[in-house]
Amino acid sequence: MGRPLDESDLIGRAQRGDTHAYEELVYAHQGIAFRTAYLIAGNAADAEDAAQDAFVKAWRALGRFREGAPFRPWLLQIVANEARNRRRSAGRRAHLALRAATEQPSGDAAPSPEASLLSAELRDTLLAAVNELPEDQRTVIALRFFAGLSEHEVAEALGLPEGTVKSRSARALERLREPYD
Amino acid sequence: MTELERALVALGRELDIPPEPDLRSRVRERIERRARYRRAAVLALAVLVVAVGIALAVPPARSAILRFFHIGAVTIERVDTLPAARERSLVAGLGSALSLRDAEKSSGVPLVLNRPRPRRFYAQPGLIATVLHYRGKSVLLAEFQGDQMGLTKKFVSPDTSVEPAPIGSFGVWLEGGKHVLIWQGASGEIRQMERRLAGNVLIWAEGDRTYRLEGSLNKSEMLELGRQITR
Repeated sequence: MGRPLDESDLIGRAQRGDTHAYEELVYAHQGIAFRTAYLIAGNAADAEDAAQDAFVKAWRALGRFREGAPFRPWLLQIVANEARNRRRSAGRRAHLALRAATEQPSGDAAPSPEASLLSAELRDTLLAAVNELPEDQRTVIALRFFAGLSEHEVAEALGLPEGTVKSRSARALERLREPYD
Repeated sequence: MTELERALVALGRELDIPPEPDLRSRVRERIERRARYRRAAVLALAVLVVAVGIALAVPPARSAILRFFHIGAVTIERVDTLPAARERSLVAGLGSALSLRDAEKSSGVPLVLNRPRPRRFYAQPGLIATVLHYRGKSVLLAEFQGDQMGLTKKFVSPDTSVEPAPIGSFGVWLEGGKHVLIWQGASGEIRQMERRLAGNVLIWAEGDRTYRLEGSLNKSEMLELGRQITR
């Protein structure tokens, strides 16, 4: 899945009502949108609904999108809001789990350097510690490391100052370091 | 990146995250359905505006029409007896003052205001408001989007004049006499938030948004301010 060559052109066309251009934007960003929603909502059905609703709301709000601004963080803010609303209304915490089969996903010829860092025991311990984090810290860690967002994108998605994301991340890493060490 | 951070990245790859669904067709279907609906709604509104415009020009018809009608999220109703109300601050019932960012987040309504922005904003679900200063007077600007928030304005004829105003897709100007404003939040059931006596008011609809300005400006001043807000 590749990003379109000229996203600003697609955005401009979508702002003028071109649904095909917007469909290309959806295609380019649906992976990160769904992953972000899943990490916040903790449930596939809610994540799918949240991502879909977010794309529809983003379409409606395109007229207010600032020309030249990055599309991804703007979109992820809408996705994160939708996912949080669903999590709140469900009244539960997102609980992350490992894949049932922990072999390398098909297509990966060899374990990545990062994957080789983790023994099964360490993986379980670390995940349990992440799941035990306070919700605000867990969300920052999940978006930063599991969704691969930059600190700036996490801040945009959660509507927080970047300094708050840094401090939540630092506090969370401090908590996680203990079981890891 | 520290060893712990690399371990978290590795852990992320082993999480049980379902494969991403292809959302393109469902998103396209929804936005095209909405576009069809909006085209039909615009046509219906255009017909309504013409009909109301014609009817407002005829005094007996004007009187009948102005008994009860809606503009966007606002209902205007003529009653025989005003509900009990008293003079209150322009922002009474709108909650505590917030920053723009917090107010937009809390209301779900991005502010449209093409003028220097004040510092204090107010929010309810579906409504964002602020107090502007124009020609030396305070004016409450409220913007509504969606159907979570509404207001009802009750007035007693003939003290209050209600007339069309040339702004947005449809506008109305209310001036003089005692009229009562009732803010209402709807979340399942209607929740009445505040009732108070209101000043001169300009209400207009534009796109999917309803704007309301209230203060002691006259009609031409209020129209001037209203047009600056959305220009």
